Amino acid sequence: MLWEAIGFYSLALFLLFFAFKTITVPNPIHAALYLVLTMIGVAAVFFHLGAEFIAGVQMIVYAGAVMVLFVMVLMLFDLRAEIRSFSRGLFSGALKVMSAAMLAGLALGAANSSVAILEAPAAPLGGGDITRQLGIMLYTKYLYAFEILGILLLVVAVGVVSVSRIKGGTHARH
Amino acid sequence: MPDIETFMHIGLPHYLFLSAILFSFGMIAVLLRKNVIVMLMGIELMLNAVNLSFIAFSKESGSLNGHIMVFFVMTIAAAEAGVGLALVVSIYKKFHEVNIRFFEHLKG
Repeated sequence: MLWEAIGFYSLALFLLFFAFKTITVPNPIHAALYLVLTMIGVAAVFFHLGAEFIAGVQMIVYAGAVMVLFVMVLMLFDLRAEIRSFSRGLFSGALKVMSAAMLAGLALGAANSSVAILEAPAAPLGGGDITRQLGIMLYTKYLYAFEILGILLLVVAVGVVSVSRIKGGTHARH
Repeated sequence: MPDIETFMHIGLPHYLFLSAILFSFGMIAVLLRKNVIVMLMGIELMLNAVNLSFIAFSKESGSLNGHIMVFFVMTIAAAEAGVGLALVVSIYKKFHEVNIRFFEHLKG
């Protein structure tokens, strides 16, 4: 119990620190690297929650593929100096932070009040073969969703290539 | 005043609180930052926070549907990052800038 609490709080502290650094460092490359650390922290929390497969997928897809994509796109640009990385206006900035804090407070209150009405689990998730159960579910009950997801990825792959090859436009500088 | 037992017994509310705070961090990044790529990173952060709450609820309810949902959300998020970065590349080709104050007035 005690060690579980210590593990959770230290993990949460690291996670929130890295997330805070992600949104505050002015250099986008540093933000991307801090976001990698945040993703790895989220994967650790998934592991803590008993979702080993999802934790592995998180590491591979997010911390691996997506963030490498981000860093490579950042390397394409010439971002020597980020002059004004935050939006201007103290009042509107404070308003934005306040709106986000209000949303967080709303979510916290909803979470706090909805926990009491949740029923106790009928059968706790069996440890060890969650990945097997997940695979069986994915290829029986959710087979159509899985196939549609594959089609979506194909469409996105073609769309990305065509979007990044667009030339000209009304605002083009010739 | 919650007693020490509430803090020490890690349950669903703790994970939901962590998820809510991460979500608001992502929202602040989208609202406050001016760099398009950092805004996309904020969107990724928000998606991760939602995934965290899905997994926490899945553990609490003893069902694997949350895991399936997270799997799908991750796939959509990867596709979304790809499309977003392609748009950023095409914007950079036109404006030579990825700061949104230079293309606030997208016309036509």
